[in-house]
Amino acid sequence: MTQRSPGYLSSALRVFDLSVSEMLWSRRTIFMALVVGAPVAISVLLRLLDALGAPVFKVNGGMMAGPAIFGLMIWVFYLRFTIPVLGVFYGTSLIADEVEDKTITYLFTRPVRRGAVLVGKFFAYMACTVFVVLPSVVVVYLAIVPMRGSLGASFIDLLKDLILLAIGLAAYGAVFAFIGARFKRPLLVGLIFIFGWEQVALAFPGYLKKFTVAYYLQALVPHAMPSDNVISLIQGIFRENPSLPEALIWLFVISGLFLWLAAVSVERKEYVLEQ
Amino acid sequence: MSSTDTASTAGTASSASTPSTGPASTAGTPSPRSTSVISADHLSKWYGQVIGLNDVSVNVPAGVTGLLGPNGAGKSTFMKLITGQLKPSKGVVKVLGEPIWGNPGLYFRIGFCPEQDAFYERMTGLEWVRALVRLNGLGDKEADAAATRALTAVDLMEAANKKIGAYSKGMRQRVKMAQALVHDPQLLILDEPLSGMDPIGRRKTIRLIREWGRSGKSIVVSSHILHEIESMTSNILLINNGRILAEGDVHQIRELIDEHPHTIYVRAEDPRRLAREFLGGVDDVRSMKFEPNAVVVETGKPDAFYARLTEMAASGEFGAIDEVTSPDDNLQAVFQYLVK
Amino acid sequence: MPIHDQSYRHYGGGRGVPGRSWAVIAWAGIRSFMRKRAFMGLMLFALSPFVVRAVQFWIASQYPQASVLAPGPETFRQFLEQQDFFVFVITIWIGSGLIANDRRANALQIYLSKPLMRTEYIAGKLAILFVFLSLVTLAPALLLLLLKIAFDGNFAFLKNNLFLIPAIVVGSLLQVMLASFTMLALSSLSKSARFVGIMYVGITFFTTAMFGALYAITGTSRVSWISVGANITQVVDVVFRLKPRYATPWQVSLLVIIALIVVSISILERRVRGVEVVT
Repeated sequence: MTQRSPGYLSSALRVFDLSVSEMLWSRRTIFMALVVGAPVAISVLLRLLDALGAPVFKVNGGMMAGPAIFGLMIWVFYLRFTIPVLGVFYGTSLIADEVEDKTITYLFTRPVRRGAVLVGKFFAYMACTVFVVLPSVVVVYLAIVPMRGSLGASFIDLLKDLILLAIGLAAYGAVFAFIGARFKRPLLVGLIFIFGWEQVALAFPGYLKKFTVAYYLQALVPHAMPSDNVISLIQGIFRENPSLPEALIWLFVISGLFLWLAAVSVERKEYVLEQ
Repeated sequence: MSSTDTASTAGTASSASTPSTGPASTAGTPSPRSTSVISADHLSKWYGQVIGLNDVSVNVPAGVTGLLGPNGAGKSTFMKLITGQLKPSKGVVKVLGEPIWGNPGLYFRIGFCPEQDAFYERMTGLEWVRALVRLNGLGDKEADAAATRALTAVDLMEAANKKIGAYSKGMRQRVKMAQALVHDPQLLILDEPLSGMDPIGRRKTIRLIREWGRSGKSIVVSSHILHEIESMTSNILLINNGRILAEGDVHQIRELIDEHPHTIYVRAEDPRRLAREFLGGVDDVRSMKFEPNAVVVETGKPDAFYARLTEMAASGEFGAIDEVTSPDDNLQAVFQYLVK
Repeated sequence: MPIHDQSYRHYGGGRGVPGRSWAVIAWAGIRSFMRKRAFMGLMLFALSPFVVRAVQFWIASQYPQASVLAPGPETFRQFLEQQDFFVFVITIWIGSGLIANDRRANALQIYLSKPLMRTEYIAGKLAILFVFLSLVTLAPALLLLLLKIAFDGNFAFLKNNLFLIPAIVVGSLLQVMLASFTMLALSSLSKSARFVGIMYVGITFFTTAMFGALYAITGTSRVSWISVGANITQVVDVVFRLKPRYATPWQVSLLVIIALIVVSISILERRVRGVEVVT
């Protein structure tokens, strides 16, 4: 029998193999599918209404074009809600789900590092979310953009959106993986981070916004930021965008750093299962 | 028995004749091995203000060892410490000579069957065992072969391609054991392996454990059911209230508890005549009571009593003696004495 | 010396009136949460807006030059709106595990094998949420009104704004009831308190995001009925005699709230059972 422990990455990939189907068919993913299905349903409905001639896209007397609506949906649905919320839901539960289901014992009594278990589950999270969210974006794009717009002309924007959403899933997932590994009530901490700290920090001038993920992620968005509420309006006033390379570098640093911190936390923590 | 008496008795038990090493080799376990597979030195674990394990120093020898104690005794805490799931609050625990906490490489040589009934229910038994053994670094084909062997060993090959969610309780226990031994570990740690099993399942599992022990594996089995442990091994570790009460061969422990008289049941043709003789001629008969056609004697000198009884039986003067047994030369009685 | 009987004795004392078991469940739940320091810290923090408002009222009453701080009826509406965040957090903290933990521990069968109706069980659990949520909404709002009267030294404010008492009660109760029923219904759907919390958060923010997107796309707030939070806001604005902030008729918003509560009750009725019916 082989006595050599698989390397860190190899262990993580083996854990990924074990976890991905469990994660994909969990109730959490069904919930995610409903969440990303809503913009699809809305976009199809809006396309129908537009085809029937309903004046749904008349804003301030002018008709909104499909690409503008698509950009709006990317901002409002995906960037501000779906990506951070999926990051919280999955990221905080990477190990917590296994602890709650009491299956963590099987993973922690194998010759793999605990950190590799977390990294493997992170990969599984990325696979599940990317392969559900990105197709939903594509469907919305196909439904919405042709309305007074061109699929070809906006294709590059679609690619940019897909890449930035994937990067966003990775960055938020890593941050919340750390929060999930470190804190006792990670869901609340995560929600306060997204809907409290990030919203406030982005609305203030100065360097506070650099301590958010949204600041770097929003720099990658190829669409104009909507001002659909007071907070967005204020954020728009104080908005400063880092350069594209800077944003990308920082997003990768954030992802790598928090994933590493999460792995270290898991290695040191004791998990006492409920009797 | 008070806890201090218990501690002093346990101390006497473990130091007087080192039952942890000698009896292990004479109690039906495989070839004599004196190395400890698990050693704990002043091991303590607390959860907030609750002490799970209290200054435990013990060496578990190779072979089959039963970890016995009532619910809440500290068995699970000890199990979690020796499997590296928990870190000691104080003291040191070593498994196969190495500290276990943060040492994943040690799991090549350890197989753990946890108590909880938790699985990836959507996977089949084969898929699950295979996926877990791949974490040991096996390739796909090797993992498949190993999983098949393990499932065959626990008599689960027929249901290997059924989802675990559809397994019966006994099958679930067996697939748990399969994942514990799939990588052919040197040490098996089984936490309540017979829990929830039907009588046939229990017998099969006990037989398996004894076979594994004979094949050279070291096994630590925990249970709160005394006769199950007795049927697997006579080498035991008794734990209660977070402390080790006694360790070693159950018979030797019994003998060492000198303060407590031995109970001997004698069924005879004329128990009252025997009783008169016992009172007159045998030293240290502490008490007697009569049962239908029998007399039950408590004595502090069982050897002398047996010798005298043999003479009486041989003489034929006291009627036929049909049965002589010692109801408390078993684990139940030992445990009850120690925890009083 | 007579030897006393040490064997089992039947209970010979008084018994409570049937139908009061919900209070036992409620009281046990309340006490268990009150023992948690972190939670009590949160409750105290949730009362900080009350303290700020109380100071505001006092300053306004003592210093005529601070008349800009003088409270009006909308101040009480704003206070309840500020407490929305704490209602949300406390609902998740307390509510997610209320039934989920019982289901996880198979305790429902034990509860319902006692002389306890399902409605009493649900009422008891609801009462736990009601008590804590009312402590951060209804109670401090009414106390603020009392403080206003006390600082003014007369009942003039109350006489001029007599509707405030029913408005505070109705507004708070709407907030509390919607949060309590929906959370309890979600809690009955799962054995994992964490997942219930996630579902509650998801539904709340998802509906808000949907409304936000549709509002941005269509330019009209007639679709505010999609958002759970917007519906409550709309109705409570009307209760406080303020101009509703969305174009949706308040009756529609009220209907949505009632529908949510009715759906929650039907979920509870189906899920809270001692046995699972397998067909």
